Amino acid sequence: MDVIYSLVPAMILLAIIAIAVFFWSARSGQYDDMEGPRHRILTDDDDPLLPESHRKYTANKAQKEESNNE
Amino acid sequence: MGVHSCFHCGLPVTEDGRQEALIAGNKHEFCCSGCVIVCQTIYDSGLDGFYQRLQSAEIAPPPDPSQDPEQFDLEDVQEEFVSTTGNESEATLLIEGIHCSACVWLIERALEPLDGVLLSEVNLSHHRLRLRWDQSRIKLSRILKRLHALGYVATPFDAERAEGIAVKQNKSMLYRMAFAGFGMANIMWISISLYAGELSASGIDPEHKQFFHWISLFLATPVLLYSGWPFLKGGFLGLMHRQLNMDLPISIGVIATYAYSVWITFLGVGDAYFDTVVAFLFIILIGRYLEGASRRNATSATSRLMELQPRSAMRLENGEPVLVSVRRLVLGDSILVRPGEKLPVDGLIIEGQSNVDESMLTGESRPVKKIIGSEVAAGTVNGQGALTVEVNQLGQNTVLAKIIHLVESAQGSKAPIQSLTDRIVPWFVAVVLGLATATFLFWSHHADFDTALLAAVSVLIITCPCAFGLATPMSLAVSVGHSAGNGVLVKNGAALETLAGATHIVFDKTGTLTEGRMAVSDIYLSDETSLLEEQVLSFAARVESHSEHSIAQAITARFAEVDDQEAFAFQKEKLSEFSSIPGRGVIAVVASHKIVIGNKAMLEEQGIEIPAHLKQKSHLVEHAMGVAVFVAVDGQLAALIAVQDKIRDEAKELINALKSEGVTITLLTGDSQGAAEYVAKSLGGQIEVIAHVRPEDKEKVIADLQAQGERVVMVGDGVNDAPALSRADVAIAMGSGTDISMDCADIVLMSNELLKIKFALNLARQTMRTIRQNIYISFAYNIILVPLAMSANLTPVFASIAMPISSLLVIGNAILIRKRCKI
Repeated sequence: MDVIYSLVPAMILLAIIAIAVFFWSARSGQYDDMEGPRHRILTDDDDPLLPESHRKYTANKAQKEESNNE
Repeated sequence: MGVHSCFHCGLPVTEDGRQEALIAGNKHEFCCSGCVIVCQTIYDSGLDGFYQRLQSAEIAPPPDPSQDPEQFDLEDVQEEFVSTTGNESEATLLIEGIHCSACVWLIERALEPLDGVLLSEVNLSHHRLRLRWDQSRIKLSRILKRLHALGYVATPFDAERAEGIAVKQNKSMLYRMAFAGFGMANIMWISISLYAGELSASGIDPEHKQFFHWISLFLATPVLLYSGWPFLKGGFLGLMHRQLNMDLPISIGVIATYAYSVWITFLGVGDAYFDTVVAFLFIILIGRYLEGASRRNATSATSRLMELQPRSAMRLENGEPVLVSVRRLVLGDSILVRPGEKLPVDGLIIEGQSNVDESMLTGESRPVKKIIGSEVAAGTVNGQGALTVEVNQLGQNTVLAKIIHLVESAQGSKAPIQSLTDRIVPWFVAVVLGLATATFLFWSHHADFDTALLAAVSVLIITCPCAFGLATPMSLAVSVGHSAGNGVLVKNGAALETLAGATHIVFDKTGTLTEGRMAVSDIYLSDETSLLEEQVLSFAARVESHSEHSIAQAITARFAEVDDQEAFAFQKEKLSEFSSIPGRGVIAVVASHKIVIGNKAMLEEQGIEIPAHLKQKSHLVEHAMGVAVFVAVDGQLAALIAVQDKIRDEAKELINALKSEGVTITLLTGDSQGAAEYVAKSLGGQIEVIAHVRPEDKEKVIADLQAQGERVVMVGDGVNDAPALSRADVAIAMGSGTDISMDCADIVLMSNELLKIKFALNLARQTMRTIRQNIYISFAYNIILVPLAMSANLTPVFASIAMPISSLLVIGNAILIRKRCKI
């Protein structure tokens, strides 16, 4: 039964680590947006499947539109 | 023919706004030019995946930006919201027009490839965009323009000003609550060992019991000091200032329980109550945190950067307009104010003429004609004429700034109304302390010191105001959340308690009881004409279609509601010989019909006769402070169109409901006596009317009523209402109103539905009822358990069961508010 003298403090230590992690995550703003991340993981990003050349083309085309409209 | 849906937003396409455009090689229809631009931009950028990601989410036509994005490049302006290190700048923007996660995808995807953009992160729950960019490679205005092309309007967000202290307080409350929860969970599993030991046949080994007590002490101490700190501080300060609040009994209970448990631990004999202390702190903090969070959500939804005064102006330097920040202007400068823009300063018109909308400053519903030599005020909106204005008042000296100053002084001098629980607290504390002392004395005589101490402290522990302390916060948290879900944002929970006892409601007229803009109220056809109403409207709308005058817009808006194919077809007819006569009206020829639209003087000059009954009607319209617009076709008078600032449809129903509740009603407006009395009569009379008041006088009316002992509610929307709103016991603002009135208000009606005021009143009364019920529940709990404590029969097991039960009862009762108060 004397094992509790080492187990209990060990458990307390684990709990302290847990609370420290919580404080860190809340402070670094991870709880600021509760809606965005859950949608973000569901968006299909099939872009990596497109060839590199196509992506560059559309991005540059958009840039050109911008400078034309200025 | 059927009604088509806009290819971009899905809303029905009306003939009035219909646009056609080529998208990806196919022709499509749109409801407005905004949607066309957005759709084209999306396709051109290769981001058409947006529409697939939308799924079932509804989107709307893009919002209108009220300001020139170029002004945000000015250094002075950026000072307010941008933080810069070297070339890198960072800012947070509030984005209007975000509907769903597809928008998040679209915005981040569209901004990222721009050269110079380092970070673009959207926060969906708060509609914010965190932006980091390289000043040397890209300008902020370019980013804003790109956002606008995609259908989003971005405004700088000053977190400090918008939320500031409230957010910090709430965050710290969250940490304290989390820490208390951590403490409670750990002490609880240790306590289970203690209980198990106590209840077992063999009892617990004293060495182990001591060990557990010491561990509990080690855990409970930081929890008490960190999580309990707000209560200890609040109770102590309250004691010093003789303003007793809920924090005092909480502090007494917590300190007594803790101190006793520490003493027991050192003594080595008896039971410690550390679990009670920590559980209690955790439960109370939950209540406080929820209340703070619900209040904060309501506040953040209504806070935008206060854009009362534009930040930039077009200063005329050598006749050329140059964009400068308002702070750089000096007295005597000449600035150019384009049609539709807001005046940035007080000034004198030196060139040009226009109609200026002063409604938010003075409450007058009709635009005021301004000519050379007229004074104009900062914050008012220019009509269709460009003006050159000489600056004669700046910054703190403008009429607008003086009103804001009035608001601040009204806010500062208002005494906070005490919550119901705060009033009961002194009695509660006195009774508890009295009972504890009596118990101690009793047992000192009849038994030993230890038993006496145990019994006395038990009283303090068990009356630990768990239920009492939750009574108000939980009820307010639920009510505020429930009302927010129904479009009524309560920024200040205590306002609900005050609203329940309201005796007098003061309404502003323009924009509150009325819609705040000119609209067609009636069309009276002449007996002699063979034309139908739709045809007359069609003629009038065609002629007025390109004018920006508020009356013209009212007519075209009314026409858009007509469901007649022929009439729509007519809109395509060409307009010839158009001439506009200022102060009179317009003449035009459409499809070989000569149309004359104007006032009485106009028709007289044109030699068109007005039949007697229509003349009479026009007098009535003018008496009601509306505008009588005559329409003549081919030399014969066809109809009289009455244009007024319409009273909101639900206004009459609301006034009747309020009157039947026994509330006195006053109409307080800056507009003329005639207009005010017309509105009062239309709403059923029995309303006191005070007209032609200036903002400072509005505040005085409220103060006078309060001096007579009335509990005053003020409902308003304009800048001129702000001082009165700050002074009133409860302030309700319309969601469509000015930022400053929403800022001063305790309650904001997001949907402008006046009937929600009745809902708010009912909710307030139900909340008070629930708070009272919760107080009864906590008294019942105490009455049952205190005798137990006084007879020295209390054990930790018992306390740790009884307390959560009382809390659950109170929480459950509070949640029932949602059921009892359906809209």
